[in-house]
Amino acid sequence: MSPSKKDNMLYVGIDLGTSRSVVSASNGNRKWVESYVGWPKDFVAKKMLGKRVLFGAEALEHRLSLDLSRPLQNGVLKEGTERDEAAVRELIDHLIELAGAGPDDEICVAVGVPAEALKVNKIAIRNAVSEHAEKLMVVSEPFSVAYRLGTLDNAMIIDIGAGTVDFCIMHGTVPLEEDQRSLLFAGDYIDEQLLHLLSERYPQADFSLNMVRRFKEKHGFVGEPKRRIKVEAPVEGKFTQFDITEEMRKACERPMPAIVETAIDLVASFDPEFQESVRKNIIVAGGGSQLSGLDTYLAAAMKEFEPCNFTCIDDPLYAGADGALELATDMPEEFLEKL
Amino acid sequence: MTAQSETKRAVLKGVYEDNLGLPRSFNGKRSIPGYLALPGQRRQGGWDSSGRGSKAMLIGLVTLVALLGCNFRISYVEGFGADFRRVAGVPEWQPLAAAAVPYPSFGLTPEPRATLSSEFAASHALGAGVDITEQYDAMLSHLGIPVADLFNLKVHTIVIDPGHGGYDPGATGYGGLKEKDVTLDIARRLREKLESAGNHRVLLTRDDDVKMRLKERVTFARENDADLFISLHINSVPEEAGSVNYVETYYFGPHTDDRSLALATAENRDSDYAMGDFRAIITRIGDVLKTEESAQLANAIHTRLYSNLQRVSSGIMDAGAKTGPFVVLLGVDVPSVLVEISCISNQAEESRLGTPEYRDRVAGYLKLGIVQYLKRRAIRDKQDGVNTQYVAQQER
Repeated sequence: MSPSKKDNMLYVGIDLGTSRSVVSASNGNRKWVESYVGWPKDFVAKKMLGKRVLFGAEALEHRLSLDLSRPLQNGVLKEGTERDEAAVRELIDHLIELAGAGPDDEICVAVGVPAEALKVNKIAIRNAVSEHAEKLMVVSEPFSVAYRLGTLDNAMIIDIGAGTVDFCIMHGTVPLEEDQRSLLFAGDYIDEQLLHLLSERYPQADFSLNMVRRFKEKHGFVGEPKRRIKVEAPVEGKFTQFDITEEMRKACERPMPAIVETAIDLVASFDPEFQESVRKNIIVAGGGSQLSGLDTYLAAAMKEFEPCNFTCIDDPLYAGADGALELATDMPEEFLEKL
Repeated sequence: MTAQSETKRAVLKGVYEDNLGLPRSFNGKRSIPGYLALPGQRRQGGWDSSGRGSKAMLIGLVTLVALLGCNFRISYVEGFGADFRRVAGVPEWQPLAAAAVPYPSFGLTPEPRATLSSEFAASHALGAGVDITEQYDAMLSHLGIPVADLFNLKVHTIVIDPGHGGYDPGATGYGGLKEKDVTLDIARRLREKLESAGNHRVLLTRDDDVKMRLKERVTFARENDADLFISLHINSVPEEAGSVNYVETYYFGPHTDDRSLALATAENRDSDYAMGDFRAIITRIGDVLKTEESAQLANAIHTRLYSNLQRVSSGIMDAGAKTGPFVVLLGVDVPSVLVEISCISNQAEESRLGTPEYRDRVAGYLKLGIVQYLKRRAIRDKQDGVNTQYVAQQER
């Protein structure tokens, strides 16, 4: 990472995700928060909670007292919803606070957002961030991951997030719109499928969406199971153990055909001479990259068409924010001063 | 500077330009010069000295046609759309679980899907007192899905139109390479590639070095039941513009800038259409299917051509896929595009265009774009099935 160009300039990278938002700053601060923003519903709630706005796990915990927003549901800000735009502003404000900016610091922010939000909501996101930063860039999440990893040429990034799966081909330039695709079969979709499957198999048990999300994050896998997955859920108030191995496999594998099909299609649309090098350099990022067995599963699925190499990144939580931070710090001064 | 740091700087410049809202330069090396948006660009070749009077008249005519067509369509649709809602007093097209329907591939964000309520259908049945033509137009303007999808239209015949020919050389490079020869060779290669890629009938408007008037090209497409029409051209810019090189793709519509108009004027020379022909043609401008599908086809071809040419044609720039008042596109009543592949006035590009290997690559990139368009059509069909299943599943 290059040194700060101004002594009082704080460089901040933000990954504004559907599920989690992450900040990484040039002063060494790295924090994350679940992308929930909640405002107290009335003055009683406000008095009880003692805060104007709550974020992340705290907001979820008090959700019954809050007007709760998850602003980038499905990877985009819902058009015309002032509440979601306000939630993004609050979230950015909170993340910059977490970055630990001093009162005299000038702030240079690079924000990574889901590819679809970059297309649809770039101006809204710019407006939300511009209140807090002197210099500002907005890029797509898979691109900031690619920048972090240094895979700027002949590579494909598949960023499996909560709201969307973003695909991005890197060919030595900032990816064009046609180099990127998004699918809505992502982490949230897996959660819904898992809840549906579990409710069918164990109708007596009380599973909730938050519970199955936690199960997935802890035990999610594709392909052959390495062990049986047993979890506890209440039945008429009493916690009981259930084997959810098969349901977990089915739910996690449901988005895979669409992911494989889109990856094949995106590679096929590239110059044939460079297709092989792209196929050998496919990086899987995002929370979904942590599904056990994913790289092997995808490689096997793609083998039917052409052999491919998949690599799941080690640090999916911070890769996007770190990449955005690197972009901000690497940006040459002559460009930065005009941003 | 190492190759990696060059790439990194190019990427950073791209981010900077994106965030300033600038036109993207290739590899960060060069921005699109301002002259590209200036009027009065003159194409090289033997056809530019045809008299300012006739040129001005043609510009006026083309502009008039474009404006007439545009105004006709807009006023008609908007006017009727308002009446339709008020008079009919029935629900508009109902969005069908728009936000909940994920697309399995080419997914992007799902467009709101639409369906026709039975109430609407009943009240708009024949004899309900509303003109059937108006009903049809109202349906098209409220559809929310491509017309080609609605009617499940297929592509059987692709007509490729190599620009110029015979005594009309088109643009000529400094080394003497002629546009007519390049377009013909690329068209032949493209035909071969498309034939080997699928079950389409692929025809060339000319398979030899012969002159064809624009009207003859249009007639050829119609007589052969073309489903797609792709006209190939090579661009040229004035000497004072320097060694600029860029790709652009057009489908029919009003000109987006003065340069498009000037280019259309040059390409429309020798159209052989009479004034009277235009009335019939204008009625086709509002063809919803043609406009929708031409835009899709133009975008697919342009993006694949540009993104791949970047690798083999150093410094090539992206002038976009856009509308332009080209007579050859106006006359054909199926999805149609005109591709200006690159600039023969750029000496390095002329050298590349002079080699069979490069022309073969260009044909390959054009094929990729066309195949991508056809695949998207096919996948849109498939998605309809998947979405229907998904919605049914959600409703259960």
